[in-house]
Order: sequence, then structure tokens, then C-alpha cells
Amino acid sequence: MLPSPNLENVALLGQIAVKSSTAVLLAALGEIVAERSGVLNLGLEGMLLLGALAGFAAGTATGNPGVALCAAALAGTLAGLVHAFFTVGLGANQVLSGLALTFLGAGLTGVLGRDLLGAPGLVLAPVPIAVLAQIPVLGAALFTQPLPTYLALALAPLLWWTLGHTRLGLIIRACGENASAAHAAGVPVRLVRYGCTCFGGALAGLGGAFLSLSYTPGWKEGLSAGQGWIAIAMVVFALWDPLRALGGALLFGALIAAQFAMQTESANWAPVWILRAMPYLLPIVVLALIFPGSRRRRYIGPPADLGRFFHPEG
Amino acid sequence: MISLRLAIESRDSSPLMRAVLSVLLALVAAGFLGSLAFALAGGEVSATWRALIKGALGSGYSLSEILLKAAPLTLTGLAVALCRHLNLWNIGAEGQFVFGALSACAVGLSMPPGWPAYLGLPLALAAAIAGGAAYSLGPALLKARLGVSEILSTLLLNYVALLFMEHLYFGPWRDPLGMGFPGTAELPQAVWLPALFGSRVHWGLPLALGLSGAVWLLLARTRWGFSARVLGLSPQAAAYAGFSSVSLTVTAMCLSGALAGLAGAGELLGVQHRLQDGLASGLGFTGIIVAFLARQNPLAVPLAALFLGGLLVGADQLQTELRLPGAVIATLQAALLFGFMLGEFLAGKRLRLKISASGNDHAS
Amino acid sequence: MSGPRPVAAADRMTPNHASPLLSCRGLTKRFGGGPLACDRVDLDLFAGRIHVLLGENGAGKSTLMSMLSGWVRPDAGTLFLDETPFFPRSPALAARKGIGMVHQRFSLIEALSGAENLALAAGRALSPRAASDLARRIGLPLDPRKRVAELSMGERQRLEILKLLSRDARILILDEPTSVLAPMEIGGLYDALRRLADQGRAVALITHKLSEIAEVADEVSVMRHGRMAARNLTRRGGASGEWDTAELLRHMAGREVPGVSAKRAGAPKTAPGEIVLRAHALCGPDGPAAGAGVNLEVARGEVLAIVGVAGNGQGALAAMLGGMARPARGELSVLGRRPDRELVAYVPEDRHGTATVASMTLSENMLLTAAGRRGAVFSRKAGARAAEQAIDSLRVAASGADCLARELSGGNLQKFILARELSKSAPLLVMEQPTQGLDALSVSEVHAAILRAARTAAVVLVTGDPAEALSLADRVAVIFKGRIVGMLGSDEPDALDRIGRLMAGLVPERHAGAGRAGKEG
Repeated sequence: MLPSPNLENVALLGQIAVKSSTAVLLAALGEIVAERSGVLNLGLEGMLLLGALAGFAAGTATGNPGVALCAAALAGTLAGLVHAFFTVGLGANQVLSGLALTFLGAGLTGVLGRDLLGAPGLVLAPVPIAVLAQIPVLGAALFTQPLPTYLALALAPLLWWTLGHTRLGLIIRACGENASAAHAAGVPVRLVRYGCTCFGGALAGLGGAFLSLSYTPGWKEGLSAGQGWIAIAMVVFALWDPLRALGGALLFGALIAAQFAMQTESANWAPVWILRAMPYLLPIVVLALIFPGSRRRRYIGPPADLGRFFHPEG
Repeated sequence: MISLRLAIESRDSSPLMRAVLSVLLALVAAGFLGSLAFALAGGEVSATWRALIKGALGSGYSLSEILLKAAPLTLTGLAVALCRHLNLWNIGAEGQFVFGALSACAVGLSMPPGWPAYLGLPLALAAAIAGGAAYSLGPALLKARLGVSEILSTLLLNYVALLFMEHLYFGPWRDPLGMGFPGTAELPQAVWLPALFGSRVHWGLPLALGLSGAVWLLLARTRWGFSARVLGLSPQAAAYAGFSSVSLTVTAMCLSGALAGLAGAGELLGVQHRLQDGLASGLGFTGIIVAFLARQNPLAVPLAALFLGGLLVGADQLQTELRLPGAVIATLQAALLFGFMLGEFLAGKRLRLKISASGNDHAS
Repeated sequence: MSGPRPVAAADRMTPNHASPLLSCRGLTKRFGGGPLACDRVDLDLFAGRIHVLLGENGAGKSTLMSMLSGWVRPDAGTLFLDETPFFPRSPALAARKGIGMVHQRFSLIEALSGAENLALAAGRALSPRAASDLARRIGLPLDPRKRVAELSMGERQRLEILKLLSRDARILILDEPTSVLAPMEIGGLYDALRRLADQGRAVALITHKLSEIAEVADEVSVMRHGRMAARNLTRRGGASGEWDTAELLRHMAGREVPGVSAKRAGAPKTAPGEIVLRAHALCGPDGPAAGAGVNLEVARGEVLAIVGVAGNGQGALAAMLGGMARPARGELSVLGRRPDRELVAYVPEDRHGTATVASMTLSENMLLTAAGRRGAVFSRKAGARAAEQAIDSLRVAASGADCLARELSGGNLQKFILARELSKSAPLLVMEQPTQGLDALSVSEVHAAILRAARTAAVVLVTGDPAEALSLADRVAVIFKGRIVGMLGSDEPDALDRIGRLMAGLVPERHAGAGRAGKEG
């Protein structure tokens, strides 16, 4: 049975839900920016791992959360730079480059992280926000979270506004919809794509750091458990909109919280493995449901030039 | 004033040039990045390379290990390459591999004792083919009819398959006499893949080789193969010609899943003989590397599979002998892909020294 | 950079002693390993004048202007702006110097609104109000809040011109601007261009249609085979004089040109045979924009032309008739069955992406629709043989059946596609813009081939050129916003005029004229 719905339990579950959405949300937001500029980055899984290890290592070495997060963002940015170099610079197949990056992330972190396995490290505890944390359920859920979570929650509306209402957003969208027209209008398309891909990498790195510093503190191989891929799926069914991605990530978090609730109550109404498989099955189901509808809404869909190589001389 | 400029210009490259350069550079890059990884892991670089090569080629045992790895790698490589010809990405070979093995295992576990091998083995293999195909049917239909990205659907299903497999050999299929080790009982001999002439290598290898020829024939010489290639090169042209993209996509992905499922059955019935942890071990993902090194040519897939097999076996040696983490393999695999992409790029370029007088210089 | 200075009307017509605003000397360009697209070309553009660059398709006009406006880099030669050499390395850099070009294929971002496209081009924020004011002032009104995807082709063209103006362009170049306009809209465009020229700008128009220059041109230059054949010609006898069209034609073609080579009306009229194509209440999947309730019947030996301005649904209609798209509603039958590649020889508009696979050989491309469609194992030899025959039948310039489709020039590829489709001897032939972009010789070859096919098959010709339609077809249907708004026999009086009005959606003719089996929707 589900746990008794008293206020304490609901607050706890809410907190878990929001917390669990953080890594996926950060990765998805970064991916939205990259894809809106025209670059498909399938290497999120690898970037999460690289960010997780870099953040954890830096945190262990310096004990400073700021340094740890910066290191993670830097690791993600460098990975994004590699991907951008191959795809935007060399015109390599974007899917292949992303897959290579996934392998690289798993490989490098496995090799470099060997000595950190099981080591204790810096833990980013939740930071309650003064008055707001006292609010019954919402206080725990929204205002008693670690820093990266606040960052993710704030970034979603910020990115939505930037993409839709600023000149920078216009330039990014132009690169993703019609790179040659943007180029003709004087937009430095390749630079924009490099920048957006690196930004996406930075956010993914931060998401990874959240995993190793807050969510399941410590380093172990395969820490991200497919959240990078879930984030990519989320970008699609958020229809490349940051606010919808926020909603999707929170739903994902709710799913994790529900898993947690059902497992703690030793519920036997569904085999454990199906519960654990839900985070991977549900995105597929959602994708299947979203697609027929989205074709009717003509202006919402992948950026028209997504995945296509752009060369200034045509 | 004369100005010099080094220009990188495009050129039409011959397919052979592209093949050679991309594979060559893949190897060079793997060498570089591998050395870097070895260094980072704390090993001595050249000694590590020597250990790798010795591990792969040093003994009869390791050579037969390479052949044993080459069989499933050929099949998963074929699975990926087949889909690539239709511009589809089958990243789910790992999951289809598992599902094929599960189906074969189900046949083996439920086989009444005393069944002969000539009934048991074909049945198990057929189940594996059906299982692998069935596991890719969902993503195939989603892609063909709804346009859902097969990259995402096949990949996410990998995780599901692994979870399901763990559930089975930890739970309902667990060997009651297993003494605490998770895994099924050993499967009856009736479903074992027989060994080749007394060696450790099983009949899966010639089967895989035969299939690579069959896939080549399918793509190059049949009407289906032609329409599939047209779909991969230009969906609009395929629609124009009246080729059904739905039927082509579903058939291709199911064939691909069947091949991967067969690979799983081969590992289960020819090598491990029981379902346990470590069955999949990344052979589905490595198939992607195999396919690209072979440049999607079914006839070249066995060669690439041999090479990757050698790499895996050598790296196993590194793990046991030099205590290097298994993740080094993933690094080498990433390096192969990056090098491959670099090689493709360079094959299409030419370096030219441009000398121009200033004043009429449009190029600077 | 100062803005343009107004030019008095009288100044316009006299021989120009002022210095040119934009000019080039010795401009040369070769693409890949092909022939010279431009061969040592000189040109002068003057402020206050509308300059028409005339020439057949493939003469090099677009390439030349693309070099002037920074879209293409010249191999050799110099450009001068205000008499000083300059090197426009990109369209944006040229735009900063005041030069802008509107191509045939617009450079607009469909998912964004008009205002956003303008803001992008202008390099600064531009409020929708300011944009529509600007549009109104030059006489080309536009709603900048609509997404480009919702705009008609004519409106998109206006947006492109606005983009140039938002950057204070002193020199405006337009490539085949009338190809996307209904005949009635052309006047409005010319008025706007005249206004812009009077403000002191230089305006250049590229066209291959001799008939268009008469009212609008102040000066004409003619290109032929990449060379400038005649430069800065003016009217005979001063400002209101006539153009010497014979002389212009001679420059364009390099030889005396006979009249239109193929003419349907002169061909012997055989009695039309069985009805091949029947369409009733045909509706495309994209709603009203694509064939809403079209009714058609075409018989063997008949040529039906469907004429319309680009973007009025002809593409969707052709795709349905050609068997490539499934109609959403209504009935469509070819000899009583659903259209397929056996029954319908369909030549789509998109040669490179749809009708052929660029990276496959010509033999393999034959297998797409014509040869070897039976049996599981296909015969590559059959494809090769069929390809050789096709190459010969229309004298396609290709090195052989093993040639890749992308190695063929546009005109040759079109001839190959046509030869392939004709080789099927299918009862229905559907063609979309078959002569688009072809040089005059290829055009007459293609016309002749179509008329030959029309002896035994039913032919549907979708085109944007009313003259071509009238010269080849028995009946002409006009399509506007997805519906057939009129049907005329090609030998009716004032046909060209009436077609023009129907193309612009002006006179919905409820009671169409001749045609024994013709009905309009």
C-alpha cells in the first residue's frame, strides 16, 4: 500500500521529487539550448559522469562547494567543446560524436575515478531558504534543497525568457532553424553553436556534480544510470521549451518519489524490477503519445536545421 | 606584397581513400588516447601496450578467445550496419542481445529431459531470433508510424532488458542448487551450441560469417535491399518511387534485432551455458564500433569484429595482469570513434598552399 | 555611409555621365570542375536607375549578382563601390556597405515571425509597428507579426525587400522576382521599385523573360554563356522609347531565334481517347491549401495544364495525381485503379531530392521508377540498359549509365528524368515545372518530347508560366489557394489575360468555357 498520506510524508515525498528532478532538469535545459542552436548532443550521459567525477574530486581535494561546482561545469564545458569541434567544426555525424562522447565519459571517469571509489567526500546539504522553508509541504519541497536544485529551478524560466524574448535567444533560434539565413544576416553561426554546445555541457556537468555531491553522495561507476538519455527524451517531449522541460523533470522526480514510497512500504503490487524500469519505459510511452499531436501543431517541433552541418561557403 | 595561405579545401574523395584514412586514423587516435588513458591509470605506457598485444595474440587460448568474441561482435555489428543503410540507428543491440538470450534460455529451461539436440538447439535459436526481433518491434513501429526517434527508444529499452534479466536470474529462474550465486542452472546439453572440431570455438562463428554474406546479398542484390538503401539516402525519393517506408523500417529493425538476439543466444548457448551476470558485457554497444570501422559494409564486419575482439581480449589481460580498470576499453572505443570521424574529415580535404598578390585578394 | 540621394525623373533616362554606384571589372567564377559560370564580366550599376540583367537560364546572371552582393567569392576580378575597390566577403559584410540581394530561394526563417526576421537582419530591435510603417511607405504592405510560414510567396518577397531596406541598402538586387507573383501583382512590385530608385538607390533585376523588361527597365545588360554580351543598353529614342527586342534576343541567344518551337495549337488534333485520369472532390492532407475539392478529367491524347503562382497548392495536387501523396478526401483513379508507378509517369519539381537519388548511378536511378520492378532479385544489367536507352533518347550529356546523378547539370538531369518516365509508356504523365531553369535549347527539346508523349498518353502539366501552358495544352486550369478557379481552352480569345486574372484570384469564374469533359471545382 502507499504510505499513509500525512503531511509529513507528503512533504518528504515532495522534497524527494524536486530533488530527483535536478540532474535531469539541468541536463535537459542545457540540451535544449544546444538543440535550439542546431546541435544534437547525445553525449549527455558521458557529460554527467565527467561532471560528477570532476565535482567530487574537486570537492574532496578542496572542501569548497564553489570550486567543486566550477570544476564540474568546466569538465562539462570541455566535453561540449570536443563535441562541438567534431560536429560543428569537422562536420562529423552528430549522433556518432555524441555516442563517442558517452563512451569517453564512461571510460575516462572509470579510469580516473578508480581511486575515489567509495571514498567519502564533500556533501552539499540542503540549504533552507529563511522564511519560505517554514511553509507546510511546499517549504520542504521547494525551499529546502541543495544549491544546484535552486539553480535548476531558476534557470528554467530564465532560459525560457532568454530564448523567446531577447536578441541572444533570437540569434540562437535562428541558427537552429535556418543556419544559412542566419549566416546571411551576419550571425556567426558556428560560434553560436560552439557556445550553446559548451553551455549545454556545462549544465550537464553541474547536473552530474549534483549527483555525486548531493543526491547519492560519493563516486561510483555508472552513477548517472541513464539520466542523460532520459534528459534527451525529455527535451523532445518538452517540445524544446524550457518551461515544459521543468514540468517534465518534476514529473520524473515524482515518479522517483513514488518508486521510493512504494519500495519503503514493501508494496508487492508490482514486481520491483518493473518499478525500477519505469523511468526508462515511461519516456518512451510519453514520446509515443506526444508525437501524433505535435505534428498538428505546426510551429512546434524540432528546430528545422537540427543535426545538419553548416558550412559558410555553402 | 605576396601573401601565403594554407587552405583546406574540399575534394571528392574516392570511397577507398575514405575507408583507408578513416580506419587508419581511428587506429592512430586509439593509440594516442589509449596511451593517455594508460598513463592516467597509473600504468607504464609502452609496457601496457605490450601487455595488451601479448594478451591478445600471445597464446592459443587468447586466439580462440578472440574468435569467440568475434562471433557475437559480427552479429551485433551486422545489426547496427544493416540499420545504418536505412539511416536508422539501432543503439538497442544490447537489449536485443539480452532478450534473444532470455528467449533461448526459456526454451532451454523448459525443455523436457531427453530431447535431442537436433530439435532443441534449432528451437532455442529460433526463439532467440524471434525474441530479438520482437524486442525491436516496438521501437520499429514507433519510428515507422509515429516518427519517434529510434535512438531514444532502443537505448532506453536496453536498461529495461537488463533489469528484466537480473530479475529473472535473481528470482523466478534462479538455480535452487546455485549455492547463493545468482544465475540459472546450467542449460541442458540439448541446447548447447556444439564446438568446432574440438576447439573452444563454437558453431556460432561460421553462422555469423554466413550471415554477413547473407546481409550483403540482401542489401546489394535484392529489390528489398535496393529500396532500403534508397530510403536511407533519400526518404523523399523512396516515397516517390512508391517504397513503403513503414514496411522497410519495421523489417529492417526486426532483422537487426534478430541478429542481435542471435548473438545473445550464441553467448548463452555456446560459451556460458547459463544465464548469469556478465552475459551482455557491452557486446551490443561494441557492435556500433564494429559497424563503423567496417564502414557499414557487411563483408567487412567480420574483420572489424576480429579486431575489436582482439582489443577486448587484450584488455581483459590488462585487467587481470596489470589491474587496470575495465573502463580503459571504453576509452579505447571512444578513441576509435573519434579517430574515425577525424579520418573521414581528412579524407575529404586537401591541403593547398595558396600564393596571392595583395590587392585582388578575395580569399584573405 | 550616407543614405541614398533622390534622383529626378529626367536624370534617369539620359546617358549617364555620373560615376557608377557599384561596378565590377573582369569578374570570373568557376564552380568545381565545371565550365566558367562567369568569364571576365564587367558591369556598372547607377544610382536612380532600374537595371535589368537579361539572359537565358544558365547564363551566369545569378552568379554574377551573387558575387556583387557578397554571397559568392569571385575567383578573379575586382569590385568597386563608389569607385573604390572593395571585397565583400559575406552577405552580411556587403549589407553593411549597403548592398543587398533577394534570391529566388528566400533566405527567411520560417518558424520566426516577419518582425523577428527583420530584427535579425537589421542588427537591432525593430518593433512590429516600425516594420509595417516601413512596408507601407514603399507600397508593399505586410503584417510583420505573422510567422513566415504563414505568409504567401509574394508577402515573403516583400519581407526580403524590407530586410534590405532595414539596413539602408543603396543597391538592391532581385533575382527573378516575378516568378513568385501573379501577373497582377507585378505592377505593384515595379511601382515600389521605381519609388526606391527615385530615392537614389540602384536597383537591379535579374530575369530570363524578355517580356518583363519593357515597362520597368531603364538600362539592360545581356549575359550569354557566362559572358557579358551587351552592356548598359538603353531604349531607342530616349526616355519613352521602345526596346529593340530583336536585338536583345540576338544577344541572349547568340543567333537568330525562331518563334516558339513547339505549339500545341498547330499540331494535328486527334480525337481524344479514353478517359485516363479521374479526380473528384480531391482534397489534400494539408487542408484548404492543397487541392480542396478538385475535379478533373483527362483523356488520352489530351494535355491539361494547371497554372498558378508558386505556393497555391499545385505541388500537393501534383503529388496526389502522381501517386506520391494519398488524398485525404475524394476519389482519384487512373484507368480505374489507384495511381502507382506503373500507371503514372510522374516528374516532380524537385529533381535532386525527390526524382532522383543524387549519390546513386543513373542505372540505379532508372530502377527507382522504370526498370526492373518485378522480382525479388533485381537485374542491374536491366537498369544499365534502360539507362543507356534513356540517355540516348533525349541526348542527355552524361558520361554513361554509371555516372552519378549528382554529376549531371540541372538541365541534363531533368532530361534524364523525363526520358526515364517517358520510357515507361504509362497512360498518364504528370509533370511539375519541367522546364524550370533550363536553357532555351533544352526547353524546346523537352517541349517536343512532351508533345510526342501526348499522342498516346494523358498529360497533366503543372507550370507557373502561362505562356508555356497555352503553347502546349489543350485546356488550361488555373489553381488558386488550392482550388481550381477556372478552366479555359487554350485557343480561346484573351486566354492569357483571363489566366492572369485567375492566377491572382481576381475573377472566380463559375461558368468555365470549353472542354468536353472539363469541370472546374
